[in-house]
This record gives sequence, structure tokens and C-alpha cells, in this order.
Amino acid sequence: MKIAVCIKQVVTREWQLRVNDAKTWIRDQDAGFELNEPDAYALEEALRLKEKHGGEVVVVSAGPARAAQVLREALARGADRAIHVESDELAFADAFVIAGALADAIREEQFNLVLTGLQSDDQGFGQVGVVLAEKLGMPSATIIMEVQASENELRVKRELEGGWFQWMTLPLPALLTIQSGINQLRYATLKGIMAAKKKEIRKVAPASTAAAAQTIVSAYFPEKGKKTHMLPGSPAEAAKALVQKLRDEARVIA
Amino acid sequence: MLIVGGGPAGMSAALRLAQLQKAQGGEPLAIAVLEKARDAGAHMLSGAMLDPSTLKELVPDFKERGAPLASEVHHEHIYFLTKTGKIPFPITPPPLQNHGNYIISLNRFVKWMAGLVEAEGVDLFAGFPASEILYEQDRVVGVRTRDQGIDKHGAKKSTFEPGVDIRAKVTILCDGVRGNLTKALVRRLALDEGRQPQLYAIGIKELWELPKDRIPAGTVIHTMGYPLRREEFGGGFLYAMPDGLVSFGLVTGLDYKDPMFDPHQAFQHLKQHPAFASILQGGQLVRYGAKALPEGGWHTIPRVYADGVLIAGDAGGFMNSMRLKGVHLAMRTGMLAAESAFEAIRADDTSAARLRSYEERISAGPVRKELYPVRNVHQSFSYGLLPGLMYSGLSLVTGGWWVKDPIPVHAGFEHMKTLADYYGGNAPDVDVPVNPAKIDRQLTFDKLTNVHYSGTRHPEDQPSHLIVHDTNICATRCRVEYGNPCTRFCPANVYEMVDAGDGTKKLQINASNCVHCKTCDIMDPYQVIDWVPPEGGGGPQYEGM
Amino acid sequence: MMLVVAEQREGTLNRASWEAIAAAQSLGDEVKIAVAGSGVDALAGELAAAEAAEVIAVDAAALADYTADGYVLALAALITEEQPSHVFFAHTYQTRDFAPALAARLGRALITDVTAIKKDGDRAVYVRPVFQGKLNADVAAEGPAPHLLTVQIGAFRADAVKRGGAPAAVRKASISVDASAIRQKPEAPFKEAKQAVDLSQAERIVAVGRGIKGQEHLKLVEDLAKALGAEIAASRPICDAGWLPMDRQIGSSGQTVAPKLYIALGISGAIQHLVGMKGSRVIVAINKDVDAPIFEIADFGIAGDLFEVVPAMIAELNK
Repeated sequence: MKIAVCIKQVVTREWQLRVNDAKTWIRDQDAGFELNEPDAYALEEALRLKEKHGGEVVVVSAGPARAAQVLREALARGADRAIHVESDELAFADAFVIAGALADAIREEQFNLVLTGLQSDDQGFGQVGVVLAEKLGMPSATIIMEVQASENELRVKRELEGGWFQWMTLPLPALLTIQSGINQLRYATLKGIMAAKKKEIRKVAPASTAAAAQTIVSAYFPEKGKKTHMLPGSPAEAAKALVQKLRDEARVIA
Repeated sequence: MLIVGGGPAGMSAALRLAQLQKAQGGEPLAIAVLEKARDAGAHMLSGAMLDPSTLKELVPDFKERGAPLASEVHHEHIYFLTKTGKIPFPITPPPLQNHGNYIISLNRFVKWMAGLVEAEGVDLFAGFPASEILYEQDRVVGVRTRDQGIDKHGAKKSTFEPGVDIRAKVTILCDGVRGNLTKALVRRLALDEGRQPQLYAIGIKELWELPKDRIPAGTVIHTMGYPLRREEFGGGFLYAMPDGLVSFGLVTGLDYKDPMFDPHQAFQHLKQHPAFASILQGGQLVRYGAKALPEGGWHTIPRVYADGVLIAGDAGGFMNSMRLKGVHLAMRTGMLAAESAFEAIRADDTSAARLRSYEERISAGPVRKELYPVRNVHQSFSYGLLPGLMYSGLSLVTGGWWVKDPIPVHAGFEHMKTLADYYGGNAPDVDVPVNPAKIDRQLTFDKLTNVHYSGTRHPEDQPSHLIVHDTNICATRCRVEYGNPCTRFCPANVYEMVDAGDGTKKLQINASNCVHCKTCDIMDPYQVIDWVPPEGGGGPQYEGM
Repeated sequence: MMLVVAEQREGTLNRASWEAIAAAQSLGDEVKIAVAGSGVDALAGELAAAEAAEVIAVDAAALADYTADGYVLALAALITEEQPSHVFFAHTYQTRDFAPALAARLGRALITDVTAIKKDGDRAVYVRPVFQGKLNADVAAEGPAPHLLTVQIGAFRADAVKRGGAPAAVRKASISVDASAIRQKPEAPFKEAKQAVDLSQAERIVAVGRGIKGQEHLKLVEDLAKALGAEIAASRPICDAGWLPMDRQIGSSGQTVAPKLYIALGISGAIQHLVGMKGSRVIVAINKDVDAPIFEIADFGIAGDLFEVVPAMIAELNK
């Protein structure tokens, strides 16, 4: 099975965000970067499918030069080769632009299966995977918790809301977005890192830049200035007042 | 060739080896650097002021190659702080003159060095702590990396990856202040025989972003006095970088006497002092961190060579406490270690006798020249601030000579007095701070909030990497004798005494808060705490620090 | 005209659909509501209670079970025919499964996870969280209408839906869906107890911290949770002590939640905890220490002993 895994480099969760001077995105000059966590699960799932069914795992990322870091990491974990759609403009492009760049880069390779994470930890569109499937003419299924592959089709377990699940079958080639926690991530190994040095990272320029479908007008921290309503009185009085407020004012309980 | 630790010493050693290899040819050497942090530089914490002397030799074209030197030093101030006032020093003592030096972010600097090192074909393995040294008899033949994928209770998880033995002709230990491998090696081979015990300090630092016109880049402020008392060694610092960024911190000797002393609390008091509060006001905390420093100097440096192994940088104690600088010495000793190791490998003799050339290089060159004259400085402060200052001043004239040389000294933790000795009959409640600082979460922060700003992350399901060999002591002897000082000297709220449910207290270790400063390993009065590396990649994320 | 696509599964409306209707109505333009499926007349009738120009039942046998392909085919046809200025969806797992493909097929902008809509001159900007809610972004949709929007669950209030004086007209759309073009073959949904508790789906959460003092007092918290219909969660020390399992932990090393109601009992509010719950709609803090940071982000606070306040609350709730 020939599998592509689309991965993204994002700032580490621990990074203390600061807004840039134009107030349209963050300042990330000093930031540490890491593999988008949901994508790590997609990569792990691809590696497991390859171990079971044979084939090849190719990691693909659309981003600036620094994104090579996550491609190298993916190669160290066991991916066979990498494709880097490199452009500074892709650092915080919108979902249509990213999906377009990825589609152009992988279309000719005729993958049987394309995996992505559920969404990115930075922009959080939750769109790139499904848009990519549409651009590649593949069927897609999202928020996948289990994958069973056979010659020509997949049987996958989708997570619905509220503890509901559903199995569905779809023909290959197909695209899946993988739910975090679907598997246990493996550790990088010294051997893997050494082996990765010999693997190819093919750099390609974005074929054409699709028009952005959305632009950020302004980025800012959510206001903290919540007014706290302190409820005075004896414990019984305060409790009574609270229940009344929650029922009648906030209407969050029946 | 194996280098353990990817700080300035380790990176310099790797770079120097690659340079020697290139210049002299011969059978290609495999050079590897092991680093416990997730990415190169992530655990780097220093003031930091860089004396560029070593850099100029190691990377002569450092400017062209984009070395991230934030700002050259332009303005210098030294103050003695009283509780609310500041008294400028009439002159800047020569050791604290910083013209020609650079304010840097050590995190950025080491990231940059990692790029140079990797470009030379060195294998840099980030996220791989070394857990033990491999020996053949007493000869060091490499290290074993830590097992990955062990759960809280010590059982293997499904993702378990065993540690790997990495064998090398020469291993250069650059595992930093109180490095876990160096500590074990020094003990096993008694490399500290005839040396004084190392003296340490703890540095607590914050990175702030201020309004851009608040303080010019290149401004350096050092303070003595408040909030430290005469019996405590140390001082405050503030280094201004471009774009309104300032590095700001407090260094406190880990040889204080008061068991109730809390360095983090002292740091909050320093921030509330008008001299600093006026600068910081309206700014924003960006990052927090803490790290121990080896301040003992020349007399405390162990034998730094043995069969198959060399020790460089903070691991060996190469720091000038009088100048508050160690980065250039770490780089220098890394370079010298590389040179001796390279020679030894080419001569096919990596015995201690051959590797001794490293010590000779240290003695013949700028390292001794810089450290020997100030060999008694921190030691003299063990006798108090005034004797320390007098000696330090005198040493500039006498070249460090003193009637008793070395000035006798005890390990820092032995200076800590018991509650009874220090407080006499008025023993304080050990669960309540003696001198609390008001926490407003604007200027001052509690430890837990600060830990959040250190970017620290450890996978939760792993054994504690802080091994307390006897936890019974905590609730019984230590509580009575010292009042559980670990709950105070740890700057990251790792140690807590919690209700045991039967009216007594018990120790709780919040290992995932640990910022890898090593203070507990150093300062514990019973010396029952061992810091060992956690699972690879765990620890702080010191971007920009 | 704006179109709201309501969501149903097996004949039951997803209540988040009402929130999407409220969001659309808040813009003041005419609203139409569509619901897709097979035999959705009753649902269309239910939706007709809202003030709307009409309710469109997109009824086709091929839509009996939800599939991404089927919905994209049907809704692309409907949107092309209706030409709305905006199309609203609730940001549910189902919407996330097909809406991006629908937007791509139509070549129109899709803004996901919208929490508020603002006016910027005569164009609308949409507020959406980025960096997992640490930052907000005001986003403008580019390109021609219609713009597709998914609204975050809980961001708009279902009870704010304007009801019409009389039920809205219901119309069946004449859209045919070619079943052979649907590539996904779904099986029947089933319920499964997940191994880990997924608190992110809980509507109400009662979280407990160090102030509870002992494991034996957890019964009190359970009673309150029961009276509220809430899940139980905890701050880190409680899980560290083993009083509650790790999967109940909220915060930077646990789960991130944003329920309608979050009651913090005896939780001081360390930043590590706050990052996991500050997105909750209504936060209640009950703590002895009036200086505890939890009060800074609470909507309602009681500075008092939880052992006195909580029993009083339970009594009041059970009245």
C-alpha cells in the first residue's frame, strides 16, 4: 500500500504566544516547533498499516524551510521518504491554499491512501484533509478510530459524538483524517535517526498558489475581564442564590 | 567520539573535532552528541553574558555566519541595594567590566551552534539522555541511553524502547552543572581527591518583554545586597536586549544558613524593589527558568581526565564566579578536550596518561590564567559578605593569594543550620513562609505559575526521575531538624509535604514540574536525593532564555 | 437570504442546529432552514417553529444514512439553486466530515468554529479560536458568496432562536441524489463505552480540588454532580493522590473542556488548571480563599466552606 501522510509543523504547546506587530498572527521567531500532535497519530497509523500490509509511507508537509524538522522526525520514526512543499507563504496560509499545495505535490504519485491528523493545533481549521480529498477526487472519512485495510477498500471506524461510533467502508484510493489517541506513538530511536539521514526529502515549490478563502483581520488574546459575581451571605443563602442564578439567569441547569 | 550534553561545551567540542578532522584528514571519525532536551538549546539557561574570546578562535567568522549576539554591552551599573534604596558603586570593579562582551540568549546561541555542528556532519541526537556510563574495569568505553516507555510503576509499556549502548574511544562528558554521569564518574574514580568540595549557586531567571523604549539594549545592571542578607552570597542581574526583551534574575549561593530561606521568594522580593519594579512595570513575563551554577572555581575542579573520558564545561566546574561568566570557559574547555581527544585517538592511546594533556592545556592557557587568581572568591564569601568583598578586592592586587590557600570550605549543604541552631527557641511554623512575598501574578508569581512559564513538560506515566533514597527522613527527622527545606529551595514546586491522612505529613514529588536545575541534588542536607534524567525530551523549553 | 443546514441523525434533530439558526437570525437577514435525509417531514415541521422564510426538506432515499458524498451532492445542488449569501452549520463531527468538501466543490470560503460574528464596515468578520483557544482571530471570508460558516457548539444560544407567529412554510426540494455516486458505505451507528472518559463532550462538569481534603468526601461531590446532571472532574493533586482516575484530570496535563457549566470546588486555580477549563461558558468557583486565582475567571463565586455550601446546593437543587 502506498500511503501519504500530510503533516504540519506547529509551535510547541508550551510556547508563550505573542501577537505580531501587525496583529494578524503570532511572532514566532524564538518559538520552538514540533510536529502537530494529531498528525503524529496519523503517521503512526500509516507505519502500522505498512508493517501489516507492506508498501511505502511518504510524509508530505507544506510550509517554510523550518518545516523540514518535522519531516526529518517522521523519517526517523520510519517513513520512507519525504516531500516538502517549501514556501514562506505557507507558514500560515489558509486551508484551501495548503490543501491546493499538497494536492499538486502528491497528485502524480497516485497514492492508495492519504492520512492527515484531525486538525492542526495552530489554525485549527479541520479542513485541509477533506478539501485535499476533494481536490484529489478521493472519498474521505474523518475522525477515524480504527482502520482495517484490504486489497481495494477500507473499513474504518468513525467517531460520532456522545460515545457513538460507526463503521463504514470506502473504496481505495481514499483519504482519512485520524483521531488523536487511535494508537500508541512509538519513540524515536537512534537507529531511526541514523537511517533518516540517508532518506530523501524532495523539495518542491508550490505549483500555483490557490486564492485564499479567508484572511485574518486581527488576532488577539480573548478578553479575561470577566466580571465575577460574588454571592454573599450564609452558605445556605449563597447556595440558594447560586442555584437560582444558574437556573434563571445563566440557564445552564434545568 | 562521543560527547554527552549539547550545551556550549559539548557543541564546541564537536565543532573543534570536526575542524581538526577536516584540517588533518586521516580515518574519518564518527562524532556523536547526545542531548537530553527535545531540541538543541531547549535546556539552556544562563544570564547570559558572553565573553567572545573563545568564540573568536572557534568560529572566527562568527559574525558572517549569523551568530545570534543580541547586543553588545554599552551601559553598566552596579548597585548595592538596601531595602528600598540603591547605592551605586563608585567604580565598576574590573572583573565586572563588560565592554566588548555580548548579551546573548544562550538558547538561541546553542541552537545556532547546533546548526554549525550538524553542517559539519556531526550526529546530534536530541531527546536522548544518557543514564549510565559503560566501563571496562575502570576505563570508560561509552554510555547507555535511557530506556524509553516505562510506566509509573516501573513496568514496560507497549511502546517500550530499551536504552542503547553507545561505545566510543573517548567520551567527553559535558553534562552540565551537577551532571548525573560526571557525578557518578567522579565518585567511582575518586576524581575529587585532594580537591575542595564544589560550591554551587542557584540562578533564577525570567525573560520579560517591556515597552520598547523602557531601557536601551546593551544595558547591564548588577546588584548586591537586598533581598539577600550579609550571610547569603549572590546578587541580582538585568541584561537588556533589543525589542524590549530583558533577562532578569537572582543568583543565590547554595551555602546559605537559614533553613527557611527560599530563593524563589527572595527573587520575588527583588522584583518588588523599586530599582527593578520601576523597570518591569507594565511589562510581561515571557519565560521562567532556574539552574544551578558551579561557583567554587579552581580549587574545586576535579581531575578532568581518566581512561577514555574527559570532563568539560560546567560539569567540570569551569566558571568564573567573580566575573559571573562560564559560557566562554565551557566553550574553551570543550575545545581543549576535543584537541586532546583527537590527538589521543590518532596516537591510538586513549589512556588517562595520554589524555592528561587536556589538563596541561587547561593549565598552560587562558583557563587557568582566568580562574587561578580568583580561586578563593566564593570561598571567602563563606565567611560573610564583608570578608568576601574585602578578599575579592584584595585578590585583584595579590593575584588571589591568602594566608590560607585554599581558604578552607565545606560543601554548601553543610552550611545549612538546623531550625534549632538558627532560630533557637523561636522555631517558625515550617509550613508557612517566614518572609512571604505578596503574589500579584503581574510582577510576582507563585512557583507553579512560574513553572508554566518555563514550558516544562514531561510525559506523566513514567517513574519519578527524582529519587529520594529515604522518604522516612522527610516526615520525621528532616521535618524537625530542617523543616523540609526541599519545599523551599526547589524553584519549581516539585517537593511538597502533604497530609498523610493520619495527622502526619508525607513527601509528594511532583516530578513533572522539574526544570532540571539540580538544586535538590546539591542542597539536600541529608544528600538522599538523586537527580536522574527523565524520559528523553522531558524538561523545560527555554526559548529565548 | 441565509441558509441554515440543520443536522439530524435517525430522525432526531441535533440540538446544536438551533444554535446555528440563532447565529443566522442574529444577522437580521431572511433565513431559510434546510434539513437533509429520507422521510424528514416531521423534522421539517419541528424546525418550522423558528422564524424563517421557509423550511426546505431535502428528501431522498440515498440520504437515508448520512454519508459525506451524499450530503455534498445534495447540498451543493441546493445551494446552487437557492443562492444564499451565507450557509450556516453547527460545528459538529458530521459537519466537519463533509462541509470542507462541499466548500471545495462549490469553490467558496468555509470558516469553521465561529464563536461570534462582528461587523467590520459592511462586511462581516467571524471570530474563531486559534491555538486551541489561546488566541482569537477575526477572520474575513474571501471570494464570492455564499460563504459557509460552522458555529461552535455553545457559542450561540438555542433559546435565543426567534420563533415565528405561525409555523414557517415547509417545502420539499426537488433534488435527486444518485446513490451510485456515493462512495462511503456506512454501517449502523453503535454506542461504545470509550476506555477513557471524554469530558470534552460533557455539558456540565463539577470539578474538585485540594479543598476536598480527603477521598472520603468525594461522595459529597458525586451527590452534587448527580443533582446537576454533571460529570465529575478534578484538578491535578486529586488525580495524583489517586482519589480519582487520571482521565478525570482537567488542565495542561489532562483534558481541555468547555462545558456550559463548570463548577470548581476547592480548586485554587493554578494556571495549569485554568488552561484546561477557562473556555467554559459559565464558571462557578467555591473556595475558602477569597484571593484564589480561580475567582478571577469565575462568573459566580462563593467565598466559603465547600462542606457547608455544597450540601445547601444539593438541598436547593433537589427541592
